[in-house]
This record gives sequence, structure tokens and C-alpha cells, in this order.
Amino acid sequence: MKKLLAVLLVLMITLVACGDSEDNVEVSGDDVEEVKISIWHNFAGDDLRARSVREMIAEFQEANPHIEVDEQAIPVDGYRQRISTVAAADELPDIFLTYAGSFTDEFQKNELIQPITSLFDENPEWKDSFLTGALEPYNYDGELYSAPVAMSATSFLYYNKQMFEENDLEVPSTWEDFIETIDFFNDKGITPLAMGNRAPWVAQSTTFGAIADRVTGTDWFMNAVNQDGATFTDPIFIEALNHFKELVDHNAYSEGANSLDNTQAEQSFAQGNAAMMINGSWTISSLATSVSEEVLNNIGITTVPSIEGGQGQGNTITGGPGGGYLLSSKTEGAAKEAALDLIYALSNDNAQKVIAESNSMVMYDLDLNEEVVNPLFYEAFNLVRGAAFAPVYDLHLTSAGAEAVNNGLQEIMLGGDVEKVAENIQRAQTTN
Amino acid sequence: MQSRLKLRGLLVMTLLPALLLYSFFVIIPIFRSSYYGFFEWSGMGDATFIGFQNYIEVVQSPIFWRAFKNNLIIVGASVLGQVPIALGLALLLRKSNMFQRFVRSAVFLPMVISTVVVGLIWGYIFDLELGVINTVLRNIGLESWTRAWLADPDVNMYAVSIPIIWNYIGPYLIIFIATIQNIPGEIEEAALLDGAIGWKKLIYIILPNMWGTIKVVIILCISGSLKAFDQVFVMTGGGPAQSTEILATYMYNNTFLVYRYGFGSAISTMIIILSLILIAISQILMKRKD
Repeated sequence: MKKLLAVLLVLMITLVACGDSEDNVEVSGDDVEEVKISIWHNFAGDDLRARSVREMIAEFQEANPHIEVDEQAIPVDGYRQRISTVAAADELPDIFLTYAGSFTDEFQKNELIQPITSLFDENPEWKDSFLTGALEPYNYDGELYSAPVAMSATSFLYYNKQMFEENDLEVPSTWEDFIETIDFFNDKGITPLAMGNRAPWVAQSTTFGAIADRVTGTDWFMNAVNQDGATFTDPIFIEALNHFKELVDHNAYSEGANSLDNTQAEQSFAQGNAAMMINGSWTISSLATSVSEEVLNNIGITTVPSIEGGQGQGNTITGGPGGGYLLSSKTEGAAKEAALDLIYALSNDNAQKVIAESNSMVMYDLDLNEEVVNPLFYEAFNLVRGAAFAPVYDLHLTSAGAEAVNNGLQEIMLGGDVEKVAENIQRAQTTN
Repeated sequence: MQSRLKLRGLLVMTLLPALLLYSFFVIIPIFRSSYYGFFEWSGMGDATFIGFQNYIEVVQSPIFWRAFKNNLIIVGASVLGQVPIALGLALLLRKSNMFQRFVRSAVFLPMVISTVVVGLIWGYIFDLELGVINTVLRNIGLESWTRAWLADPDVNMYAVSIPIIWNYIGPYLIIFIATIQNIPGEIEEAALLDGAIGWKKLIYIILPNMWGTIKVVIILCISGSLKAFDQVFVMTGGGPAQSTEILATYMYNNTFLVYRYGFGSAISTMIIILSLILIAISQILMKRKD
């Protein structure tokens, strides 16, 4: 009997420990209502932007002692999975960072989030300061669900200034020059383009999107995404894939490109092991914290070369509005008020400025102080202002379609058949 | 009689908590997961019942069978690599002097390192330019043998098997040493009198006495290899172009990257079925030898 009691006791302790309930709102002795809100984001790293954002949250917490902010910073690599797992379990935090495009569409379609239009109505000046098109990805039937706190610009051509000067080379601006430059560096025994494509989104997001947009034009791509009069087996898309294959055939990438990760490739380029690299704006912030100023000053930045005879514009940069904070549809009452305050504090005029000054792109009109940011970022920031945006492939394709493009590009790098890759992409995009 | 009943009651009582936890966290999820396999579900919102469609797609998917083949490579590497190496080391290290204890700990060490760290370490070892393997090859004049071990589809599946072998020799070594030390001294003495020394002793005395343990270890090897995930996921993520895709990474990628929870669940169910079949086959094969 004693043993039975002991077992029951253990069971009860376990159950009690698990059943710790979470009450969102409790009223304290003072008149101010105590609320608890949770926020998840991916600013977990040690880069300047991540630190600035975490600081802003800490400041908010300090200024609002009656609000208890439960913050979780999740590393970027696992962030999407963590969020979709809790979404599947219907346990989303009150506020969470999202990515523009199909990721947000899913939450909206399933009514897991609620609009924050009231914030924009209360602060019209703030709303008008966003760049053209910045709010579009978060506009569903006239209701706004988020304010972007980032701009994704995924394709810049970085180059080693010294190498180009020493060899008396012009930075390539056309496809032919580009191929010639690649051959030139190969003859000298220097890897022409650094790329770390182990996580296979890299080739797609940084390089192929820009090439494909130059060949097919944006309209064709949007039609193909919707399977509206265009498919991924069209000759024009095969041609885009062939342009990528041309780079591979000219040995533009090192043999191990598929086993390096993006950071390794960035470092390898910065150390002068490769002459050029096509990569996103994130490279600037990661290099800014990891290499010396001297190395940084030796890096030049421009747009990916144009492709003659292509259907698209020559000097686009793939990208557009980036992530922003979403408000869970379950957050109500005082918690909702507090959550809206926090979202505003993290996306308002001041926040956009803080983010830009941490060498990160924003979709917000502001005068950047050249003194504060690093020169490479300043150059890139102005480059983006002058260029038009082209769609980033994986933000528009279905996740199965994007996965097929990612794997297909790796296949082409391993010598796979272009037409078979195109068929796989088409098939993946039409499942579901 | 009464004490029997009492004992049985005690057994039930003591097993119950573990059993409850086990059913709650293992058995029920397995069945729920096969149930999800009948749905088209993105992980959010409504799931649509689609019958056996996911299962049919899994069976017809060439990537699934490639992943299974890759898993078999790992099974082969484990059974043919881990078991003989662990057995050999156990025979060499059965005494307990300082040196042998040191080697034993060294062999066991990878087991206590997190598998993610193992994956990262070997990722660097296999690196094209900075990796130890290629550096050694270059220095001894075998430049032509250097390659991108993890990116070249001709070799990368064998390359990722090596860390897995290295990682799990330790526990098998311990099991084997314990078994050898448990062989009764009388048998060994009697064998010695009959002139069984050296190889003879190994073949006629030690191995037969260990056969039961070896069988268990082989089964552990097979089931462990079919569950393999972490090292491969860290080193290659199943790439490039799905050339090192194994069943678990294929399931993970479909569930958490492509958001096809139903399809992913169908894959996990197939993994269980295939594992059971393989273990049954190995049981039958090994029974014959008894």
C-alpha cells in the first residue's frame, strides 16, 4: 500500500508540474494592469542588427514595467521550422517575426494572425515613410498585418578591388564580359566566384533568381508561379537554367561549392581566395563584424551583369520588403494593446533608423548618416535605391517548388540534365 | 501464492509509470503519425483526407528508394565496420591496465560528444581546401586523390558513413568487453588444458560464448543506422542534389521544409515498416547459424 502511495505521489507531482497554467492577465494592487506578452524573433546572433533589436526590446521592457515581455531569440537556421511547428500545435506566441511572401500567406489564410491596421491609421506619417510597395506583401484585402523592418536584397556582385586593378580588368557589366572574366581568373588559378551552397537556397536566392529575371522577365515568372500561360518547361526558362549551367561549365565555382556553407564562402572571398561572389545584403553585416576594415575597403559592390537579348531589365536586384512582426489572432484585450505598442516600438521611425545604422537594409525612407555606417553598406544602400526589384524565387514559389529549384541547381552543378531539372520544378510547383 | 500475487502487483505498479510515459511519448505518436499519413496537411489549418495517396507517392518516389539505398549503405558500414572493429578492440583491450583503460576511454570518447559536434568536426576533416584528409593526401603526393568528399556524389555516401562508424564504436566495445569478462574462468581453464590457445581459443571458446551478444549488437546496429539523422544532417543536410538523402532527412525535409506534414508522416510510417522488415530478416538469417 505504501508503494502504491509512493507511485501515486510521483504521478501527481509530474502532473502538477506539467499543468502549470499560464494566465495572460492579472490585476495587481495598483491601477495599472499587469500583462504578459511573448515575442519570438530570429535576432539571436552577435551581429550589430541582432544586438540592436534585442536592445530595443530591453528598452521597451524597462519603459513599461507593467508589461512582462517573454522574449525568445531563435537562431535563423531553425526559425521557420520552430514557428511552423508551434503554428501546427496552435501555440503561436503573441508577436513573432515573419518573412514576406508565402510564409505569411499561410498564417493569414488560416486566420492565425490579426491585422494591425490601427497602428498605421494612428501614425499616418510613419505609414507614408515606407518606400513604394513596402507594405504590399502584408496587405490582405486592405488590411495591413505587419510593417517590414527589413529589406531583402539578395543579389549583389561583390568583387576584390585589388585583384581587378592588378590585372587591369573592368568589373563585368555584361554577360559576355562576365564569362570572359571568369575564364581569365581560372587561367590564373584563382577561383572566379565564391559560393557556399551546402544549404541549397544560396545558389537560387543569390544567383539564379537574378539571372533568370534577366532572361525571362518578371511577368513570365509571376505567370509561371501561378501556372497561368507559362510553365517551367518553357524554352525561355530552360535558357535561364542554361545560363546558370554556363557558369558551371566555365568552372566559375570551386569543386567544393556544394559542401561549403555560406559563411565559409564569404570568409574565403574576403581572404582573397576568390575574385568575385554573388551574395545578398546580409553579407555586408556579417563581413562588417568579422573582417578588418582594410579587407572591407578592398571589397567593391555592384549589380549582377545584364544579359543581352533577355526579356527582363538589365540591372535589377532580387529582393523586396523583408520580414516584419505579426500579431497572433488569439491575443486580445490588454495583452493586445501591449503587443501593438511593442510592435510599434520595434518598427517605428526610430527603430528603422537603428536597424539601418546597424548596416542592414530597410524599406523606409530615411537619410543615412554616412559617418555611422560602413562604406560598403552605404554603397549598397544607394545601389538599391537606383535599381528595380526583381522577385526572389523562393518567396513566390510554393515551398515544394522552391525546394525543387534548390535541388535542381545543385544537380546542374553536378552535371545534371537541364531539361530534367526543369521538369522536376514544374512537377513540384503543381503538387498540392 | 499470495506472495506471488503481491510480487505481480508490485511489478505492475513499478512498470506502470514507465509504460505510461513510453506509450504517451512513443507508441501513441507512432500511431498518430501513421494516421496523419492519410491527410494532405501543411501543418497549419485544415487537413484533407486523401486515403492512401501519400503512401502510394512515397512508394513510387525514386528519391525515397535512393534514401533507403543510402540507409542500407550506412547499415552495411555499421554492421561490417562497427561490429568487427569493436570486437577486435574488445579482444585486445580485455585486460584492465592503465594503457588499455586509456585506449578504451579514447574509443568511447566520441560517444559522449554531441553528434552535432561530431558532424561539424568531420565536416572540417572532409573540407576540400582546409581538410585534414586532403592536406595529408597533397603532402604525400597523392594530389589526384583529393576531392570534395562531401560534395562528390560518387563518394559522399561512404564519406558520411565513416563518422557514424567512429561515433558509435564505443558502446559496442563496452558491451563486448563486459561479455568477454563474463565468460566463466572454468571454461577458459578447461580449454587451456585441452590445448585451445591463440586463434583456437578465439574461434572455439570466446566467439561461441559471445554469439548472443553479437546478435543483439547487430540488431542495435541495424536499427541505429535506420534512425541515422544528426551527423548526416549536419554534414550535408542530405545534399547536394539529394545525393546523401537518407530516410530520416527525406522525412525531415518534406515535413519541415516543404510543409507536407501528411507526406512526411507517411514516410515515417514507411521507415518503421522497413526497419521491422530488415530486423526480421536479420533475425531469420542469424537464427540459422544457431
